[in-house]
Amino acid sequence: MSSPTVTFHVLGQLRTYCDGAEQLSVTAATVRAALEDLERSQTALYRNICDETGTVRRHLNVFVNSDNVRDLEGVDTALAPGDVVTVLPAVSGG
Amino acid sequence: MADRIVLTVGTKKGVFVAEAARARQRFKLRGPHGPGVPVYATFVDTRGTPRVYASSCNPFFGMKVLRSTNLGKSFEETTSAPAFAGGDGRALANIWSIEAGPDKKELWCGVEPAALFRSTDRGDSWEMMPGISDHEHARKWQPGNGGLCMHTIVRDGNRVHLGISTGGHYLSEDGGQTFQASNTGVGAGFAPDPYPEFGQCVHKIARHENAPGRLYMQNHGGWAEWTGPGGPRPDIGVLRSDDYGRSWRSIAKGLPSDFGFPIVVHPHDPDTVYVVPLAPSTRTCPDGAPAVWRSENGGDSWKRRARGFPKKDTYFTVLRDAMTVDEVKAPALYLGTTTGQLWIGRDGGEQWECLFDSLPPIHNVKVAVV
Repeated sequence: MSSPTVTFHVLGQLRTYCDGAEQLSVTAATVRAALEDLERSQTALYRNICDETGTVRRHLNVFVNSDNVRDLEGVDTALAPGDVVTVLPAVSGG
Repeated sequence: MADRIVLTVGTKKGVFVAEAARARQRFKLRGPHGPGVPVYATFVDTRGTPRVYASSCNPFFGMKVLRSTNLGKSFEETTSAPAFAGGDGRALANIWSIEAGPDKKELWCGVEPAALFRSTDRGDSWEMMPGISDHEHARKWQPGNGGLCMHTIVRDGNRVHLGISTGGHYLSEDGGQTFQASNTGVGAGFAPDPYPEFGQCVHKIARHENAPGRLYMQNHGGWAEWTGPGGPRPDIGVLRSDDYGRSWRSIAKGLPSDFGFPIVVHPHDPDTVYVVPLAPSTRTCPDGAPAVWRSENGGDSWKRRARGFPKKDTYFTVLRDAMTVDEVKAPALYLGTTTGQLWIGRDGGEQWECLFDSLPPIHNVKVAVV
């Protein structure tokens, strides 16, 4: 079965790392596979989202549609056609 | 003739650049650049066209290196920042030091977790230097309160001195290819063995090019009241070496505390050295009265210099990279505080004046005459 095509929504401040694109089309069965696709196709953008070990940076949250993957299956969360993957900074600071 | 003083100020909320004429009567502030993002390292590169570098330690999106070619009027990210190789298992957490490398375009960078990187193209690409980064001790170093950081890079020809907290002092005599722990006489008050081979919490190391072999160190002191194993350790905080860092001896006698972070050498006199003693328990100004202490005889005796500072009710901290000195004939010191004040100590620290009193908490202050 072929992997679904999903939309990866790019946060405004990260668009400088992908030639200004607001969203990217990614074909991937899971969030992990979507991130791996980004690592190959949008390396600079990927480096802002994941560290050298491939781990999503600590203060970022990844959503599939409106659900935080932390409440699903993490980066192994399955994707369905038309899903929107969004990476947002956590509410933290000071 | 170089006639401008350029100060870089790395803060919790970005990097500022302050500029003044050589007389230093009035500084004009620019910034913040990389706004909202902590900056722990800055460097003014005066080799050729001046360039200003700053680390930008974004807690959300990772580390960046910023570069300015117009003395801080604007900054751009370099093409890449230091990064560990895939499979290494380590992830860059912070950039603590940026210094000149041996070649004109070369930069060296100390990072957290403690490792050393090199760029030969002014910061656009980086490679890890394995001699220290993959040292047999590297996986045994432990983080201090600030993290496991390589905060000090002192180059002296083929000798390279590194300060790691908590790893200690490491010495290379082959240009950075290989390193050895070199901590004889450097105490670790927080360990049962007060003089281990490595693992000390070195805070800063400084040298003067006209005093070959001599180094000064601010180590993690503050153990004069210690009553645990080994008893009091009153003199491990401020140290001096006269053999290129192979061994160290205390020069803390006469200071109100041997705890502090920065140590700075006068640009024209290798016998004149400055520290900022802090109360060990609070790591703030002793008795609420800030002072810089100056020795004019290589640490044999110390004098308190506080003219212009508040006399009471002041409890800031000066972090390891937050004091520096310019190279004007009558040099000025500069120190930044965790309460966001940037001070100038004119005439070698005789007279202190607050240049800016409400910046974000200051991590780092560097200066150059351009």
